[in-house]
Amino acid sequence: MAGILDVPKPRINCSMLSQHINRPVCFLGRVEKVHSTGKTFTMLDGEGQTATVELNEPLEEELSGIVEVIGMVSNKGVLMATTYNILQEDKGIPFGLELYNEAVKVLHDFPQYYPFQVTTSS
Amino acid sequence: MMKLSEGAIEALANGNGWNDAILQLVNIRKIDGGSGPARFRVMMSDGRDTLSSFMLSTQLNFMAEENILAPNCICNLKRHVTNILKDGRRVVIILEIDVLKSANEVAGRIGDPTPYFDGQNKGLQQAPAPAPAPAPAPVPETRPLQQQNRNEVSRGYNRDLVKKAPPAMPVTPGGGSKVVPIASLNPYQSKWTVRARVTNKSSIRTWSNSRGDGRLFSMEIVDESGEIRVTAFNQEVDKFYSLIEVGKVYYVTKGSLKIANKQYTSVKNDYEMTLNGESTIIPCEDNCDVPMVQCDFIPIADLEKREKDAIVDVIGVCKSVDEVTRLTTKSNREVSKRTLNLMDMSGKMVSVTLWGEEAEKFDGSEQPIVAIKGAKLSDFGGRSISASFSSTLMINPDIPEAYKIRGWFDNEGHTVVGQSLTERRGTGIIGGIHIWKTLSEVKAEHLGHGDKADYFSCTATIVYLRKENCLYQACPSQDCNKKVIDQQNGMFRCEKCDKEFPNFKYRLILSANIADYGDNQWVTCFQESAEAILGQNAAYLGQLKDSNESAFDEVFQKANFNTLIFHNRVKLETYNDESRIKATVLSVAPVDHIEYIRRLMVNIRGLAAK
Repeated sequence: MAGILDVPKPRINCSMLSQHINRPVCFLGRVEKVHSTGKTFTMLDGEGQTATVELNEPLEEELSGIVEVIGMVSNKGVLMATTYNILQEDKGIPFGLELYNEAVKVLHDFPQYYPFQVTTSS
Repeated sequence: MMKLSEGAIEALANGNGWNDAILQLVNIRKIDGGSGPARFRVMMSDGRDTLSSFMLSTQLNFMAEENILAPNCICNLKRHVTNILKDGRRVVIILEIDVLKSANEVAGRIGDPTPYFDGQNKGLQQAPAPAPAPAPAPVPETRPLQQQNRNEVSRGYNRDLVKKAPPAMPVTPGGGSKVVPIASLNPYQSKWTVRARVTNKSSIRTWSNSRGDGRLFSMEIVDESGEIRVTAFNQEVDKFYSLIEVGKVYYVTKGSLKIANKQYTSVKNDYEMTLNGESTIIPCEDNCDVPMVQCDFIPIADLEKREKDAIVDVIGVCKSVDEVTRLTTKSNREVSKRTLNLMDMSGKMVSVTLWGEEAEKFDGSEQPIVAIKGAKLSDFGGRSISASFSSTLMINPDIPEAYKIRGWFDNEGHTVVGQSLTERRGTGIIGGIHIWKTLSEVKAEHLGHGDKADYFSCTATIVYLRKENCLYQACPSQDCNKKVIDQQNGMFRCEKCDKEFPNFKYRLILSANIADYGDNQWVTCFQESAEAILGQNAAYLGQLKDSNESAFDEVFQKANFNTLIFHNRVKLETYNDESRIKATVLSVAPVDHIEYIRRLMVNIRGLAAK
């Protein structure tokens, strides 16, 4: 777990899963359906595409709404989750998933302005 | 007594023939053919029904003129032909007719016939043939028909009946000349008729001057050849105002023409028309050929080249719109006003001001395509547009230019930020659109250095608030905010009101430094914006300062490092040989993140495209 938290984790949407196989990523979307085992669930991104997430242990709580998942993308394009956090929607203004998606696209369209790297201060 | 052919009328009306129908002539009426021969319209009876849609063919005109055919005579309709009008009704043209018993040999009307009705003929019967003096109860056709029931069918019928052989030639209902194009109208010919669509109609305006009172309304009409402005005064206002509907086509006759006063209109015609006592306006139902509107739209970018007060036609998408406001005019009248921003495919934008009912009713929520014909170009704010009482405002008009703009806007235009020709005044927000600047742009673009103040909006973070000397003692009078002088005897003097008061009210002048990613800016915030930033009112703050220093400090601590939207005015001011840029905060608002993000997206994509 520590390993993944130290490295840059680009934010992606479903269309970018295939370009990030075996890499750590941050995926933010809306929970669609939780499997009965509680070990896997599907999520919708801002474009309406679905991604599948797998967990190490079954879920211990109700998962719904906007969730941010950090993990590795498997060969099959499934997100192997290391950790997740739920964004409270009852506070503040409603989360604009489509706008978030637009922002993610900007991040990837202009990598020269949004470099994904760790700068170490010497 | 001759026996009439009962049932013949029904048959003829339905297009089934009837050979040698014995009919009684009920009425015959001459219709002036203008430059052609006269026509005679005849009403015949078969004892059971009557039908007025008979026309005498011109070669038989002599029978009417010599009174061979006269009311009550009995005739044998030997040869006829039936014409079908565009709307399906029938006209029976009498080609050969024999008079079996002349009028003076017949005592009176045979039987008790009633007008023949079926769906087609209903209209025919409702327009009893107006006749010259001896005939009973006529409705003279040449008078504007709004005075009787507005039965389109009957009027159209009348027009069609008078048609000569080629049905394509539009001829006016009775008493008129042939239809001429609007472009050919001139003051030297008086007997003309035009067939045109009304493209706009003003409201009734009244005036009162030393010579008395009056009212007028004006409209613009258009046909295939051109357009012309038409004005009606006083009595003609009563006659015609309620008859005219924008978008409908009418026959207009006998208006007077004079040289146009181009100052009031963008209509392209050297002449304009005034309706007088002889003029007639008759609705026309056959209007598919008449164009909907004639506009000569100017690209918004070209408005800069036109002179102020020019009358122009513009079209664009309503990118944003303000709320309606009410203001009082010099003559103490209250009027509603609304500003919107119009953008066309050039990417240029201009402010448009609407007035009165148009302002109140306007709905810009779906970013409609708005076209204005005859709008006034003003140099207010550089260049701006105002809809006057004679302008026509069209929302989402059914014209090709509108579809072009709609298509462009939906595909790419909606991302264009738009460059406005109209400078910002006042709050710097016109038509709901702010000028957004970053603080580095404000300095780089030397905002405020010109003759007039500049206004802009920015998203910035407060990095410093000066709490020293942020409060001053002001005159307690309602509208006076002048600083009072402490007389040290418990009284405070206001120089402006020239009075002394035992009290004062605290007011805020807050000096602050705000910053964004690029630069910072010192600004001054007066009462309202200062209270908004600090989250407390001036009176309470004054109290705190005097009584609880640490609580007072805490207010400032809390307010620091908040990010807000600032609406500012910036101006170069000279004081004792020293010129400095002064920036004042007019108002603050919380950051609307969704709107901010969208704006940033537009900017990012816009930059990328370059």
